[in-house]
Amino acid sequence: MKRTMTRSVIALVLALCFLLGLGYLCFRFFTENDLWASQTYNRYLSGGKGLGAAGTIYDRNGEVLAESVSGERVYSSDSSIRHGTLHTVGDGSYNISTALQTRYRSQLVGHSTVFGYGLPESLKSMSNMRVTLDADACGKVYDAFAGREGACFVYNYKTGDVMCMVSTPAYDPQNVPDNPPDGSYLNNCVSSTFTPGSIFKIVTAVAAVENIDNIDDVTFTCEGEKDFGGDVVTCLEHHGTLSLDDAFSQSCNIAFAEMATMVGADKMQDTAEKLGVTKSFNISGVKTAEGYFDVTKADANQLAWSGVGQFTDMTNPAQMAILCGAIANGGDAKLPVYIDGGLAGSAGRLMSEETASKMADIMRYTVSGHYGDNMFGGLSVGAKTGTAEVGEDKEPNGWMVGYCDDKDYPLAFAVVVEEGGYGFYSAGPIARTAMIECAEALGFEG
Amino acid sequence: MTQILADIAVVGLRILLVVYAVFIIYQCFASMRRHKRQESPLVMLYNETIKEKIPVLCWENSIGRSKGSDIVIADPTVSRNHCVLLRRKEGWFVSDSDSKSGTLVNGKEAGFRTPVYIDDKITVGSTTLQLRRGEEFDEEVRHHWFFSKTSGKPSVSTPLLLILINLFHLFMAIEICITFSEVRLPAFEIWLAMVAFSWVLYAFSRGVLGRLNFELESIALFLTGTGALLLVEQEIRDAWIQVIAAVAGAVFYLVILQFIKNPDRIVKWRMAIMLISLGFLLINLIFGVAEFGATNRIYIAGVSVQPSELVKVAYIFVGASALDHLQTKRNLLEFIVFSALCVGALALMGDFGTALIFFVTFLVISITRSGDYKTVILAVVAVIFAGMLVLQFKPYIADRFAIWGHALEDPYDAGYQQAGVLTYIASGGFFGTGVGGGVLKYYGASETDLVFGIVSEEMGFIIALTIAMTLFGLVIYSRAIGTRSRSTFYSISAVCAASMMLFQSALNIFGCTDILPLTGVTLPFISAGGSSMLSCWGMLAFIKAADERTYSANKLNGPD
Repeated sequence: MKRTMTRSVIALVLALCFLLGLGYLCFRFFTENDLWASQTYNRYLSGGKGLGAAGTIYDRNGEVLAESVSGERVYSSDSSIRHGTLHTVGDGSYNISTALQTRYRSQLVGHSTVFGYGLPESLKSMSNMRVTLDADACGKVYDAFAGREGACFVYNYKTGDVMCMVSTPAYDPQNVPDNPPDGSYLNNCVSSTFTPGSIFKIVTAVAAVENIDNIDDVTFTCEGEKDFGGDVVTCLEHHGTLSLDDAFSQSCNIAFAEMATMVGADKMQDTAEKLGVTKSFNISGVKTAEGYFDVTKADANQLAWSGVGQFTDMTNPAQMAILCGAIANGGDAKLPVYIDGGLAGSAGRLMSEETASKMADIMRYTVSGHYGDNMFGGLSVGAKTGTAEVGEDKEPNGWMVGYCDDKDYPLAFAVVVEEGGYGFYSAGPIARTAMIECAEALGFEG
Repeated sequence: MTQILADIAVVGLRILLVVYAVFIIYQCFASMRRHKRQESPLVMLYNETIKEKIPVLCWENSIGRSKGSDIVIADPTVSRNHCVLLRRKEGWFVSDSDSKSGTLVNGKEAGFRTPVYIDDKITVGSTTLQLRRGEEFDEEVRHHWFFSKTSGKPSVSTPLLLILINLFHLFMAIEICITFSEVRLPAFEIWLAMVAFSWVLYAFSRGVLGRLNFELESIALFLTGTGALLLVEQEIRDAWIQVIAAVAGAVFYLVILQFIKNPDRIVKWRMAIMLISLGFLLINLIFGVAEFGATNRIYIAGVSVQPSELVKVAYIFVGASALDHLQTKRNLLEFIVFSALCVGALALMGDFGTALIFFVTFLVISITRSGDYKTVILAVVAVIFAGMLVLQFKPYIADRFAIWGHALEDPYDAGYQQAGVLTYIASGGFFGTGVGGGVLKYYGASETDLVFGIVSEEMGFIIALTIAMTLFGLVIYSRAIGTRSRSTFYSISAVCAASMMLFQSALNIFGCTDILPLTGVTLPFISAGGSSMLSCWGMLAFIKAADERTYSANKLNGPD
């Protein structure tokens, strides 16, 4: 009897394993509760049990972007704001994967570990959310796109607060169309990359400043086109002899192709990676799309074209805004956040203070010397435009990226208009609207 | 305002149900622990050589030089396992365990089951033991820790416990009505059937059989009713099958208890039962109908039957043995062949979950019986090889392994069921979203494989854990009562039956929560399925039989 019972300890071993398993299940229940509960197929989150009773989403000024009123989800009464904040707020579906109503739905509808989704509406404490965006700015910027596709991203490079994040095409979350336009589920600011064209000259300029000795004494000669490695790189004008500052402000292709060649593929690659072109940034939990820059196997002509933002170069709008923010901020990049209360982390030091200061000078000179400060309603802005050839009979992408160096309005921006034509004419006016609106939200009176 | 009060009442009822379930299960186990056990030794052996009084506590006792013996004789002329002193209805017997020097009773050679009477002398080696009355032993007998809180009374009387369980199920039925905001009669019909069932079973057990303890049955009734009421809004037909199968199961339970009343009956019946079991499995292999990837059921007059569920009961029966048989016949070969045939047949059916359950039960039985680790290790190695072959030839099994631990990465396809369970467990929280109102019940095969998730979603994670802990508790309980069983047959079968149910629960619970690969076995007493319900009640008989009071003719030991 005794021996049998001693041997039956095997049953206890089994029971102990069972207990450990239950313990592990409990551990996962507590640590992964939100992950489990917030799955998109969860029927407590969609349909009749979904956003009909959910928390309110406010903008930075307390303006309601989305709220639940007697079982219905109601969005801003302003159509432009509804469209302009679509990709931040989201709609009733899970189609826009980066939107708040997709990612934080379980919190919005009042999920808790203790009660699950089991509480009746009257007893639920639904979480509200506040975003750092300025709803009016987003609405006006959306209108400024006037139906064209693209992205506009503006953020405060001191605090990290995102002020404007508009992606087009968009649709009305209040009346979701049966067939939303292609690409409308994507937040272009964070999730897309575009051929950069001349805005990439910022990267090439940094490489030149850091790698070419006495760059201020070096001059470049532009005769409209030049042979690099057996094939030509073309420029829109005959710029003649130019310094770095003039080459940048007049966006001379020949000068920058020359610089990329002088710096060399290795250093160009290093600089692009160091500046974050190929990196993904975490913006309030959303990972930005990685840009692309690879000249490790490029021939001389391809290296030259890569220096002016063509070849296989791709950049992401938010990442370009972070780069401009770093230039304005002495080389230190602040990570953007758009959920209020989130701590803005650092995106690291992208360049030395001297390089940043030099870059700030030439970008500021580009606006003050060429576009004129009137363009930004008197704000002191440094910027670069770009017109990126995308081939296949398509109009080029128009870009404008930059920053405001006024300490009261520390804003960095990136605007892209797909097939918009010349950056100055397509992206320029949108950048102007975005910067003035965001600066006004910070107290600017233009 | 009235809305808020009504809502508070609804949530209050759910919380009450959780507290209540924990309370009921606690009371069942607390009552088990309080039962008074035989305190004085049954008889006493007087070692005339060294003038030592040895209490004989069990119905079956091994005598030998080995430290593992129940009665250790420190005499080099005594064999390690010398003989067995055992009690049967007819009196006391001695069986020699093929000892070197033999066993003598009053100077005469003893063989298999030689009767011994008070004052008879049993000689082992050069030691002589005289059988004396138990009352002559005047020292304190130590108790198993599980029964350290014995008292005259159970913590709650059985009728009150049954009323508590009936009320719990009534609350579940009411919750279903609240969920749908209308009276759902089927829920009350199931409830009434469960009430009638529980009281008839109790009346029969107490009145006709004179059994005093009813905790095991109470636990089974509690779990059965909970499972059936969860099925009401999922598939009312299944709910009725649960109740009817449980009634049939209770009859099965009583029949088994009667059948194993004589623990030596197995010797005569073992071969017959093995052949009948294999016959069942063979019929299954020939007439089986494929469902969910496994061909583990046959249809008899439109009713689906899983023969393997009944073979589980037979397997426990065949595996256990009385102590003197164990001592003389240590060869596991017969049992190994039978096990291999069972596991092989189940593997051919594609029912790998059940095959695994049989295999683990085989390990528990063979270790408990023989302590023969070599055979066991050999078996494990053999099964690992077989398992690898299975993965090679059954790609859908390999798929289940591939998704294991990554269900949330593929929640729409391969990880569909497990991801759903995790999501709805988190959706239910501690107290559930209300009986009958869940979403998980719309998943395929959820009433059997994912039932742990359904309990969690509708009644809360705490009740689901409580059910799991109940099955855990049965193993602890079966080991505790096993120390005083009337035969090692009961101890072994109780421990193994409880282990089998626990391992099955583990496969079910951890399978659907993505901690183990999903194998599609049932959660005892809760999952839908008539055959499974029948077999669970059958298994319970083995645990019940291990309780020394179950077959006691007098009622002196038991309180009421």
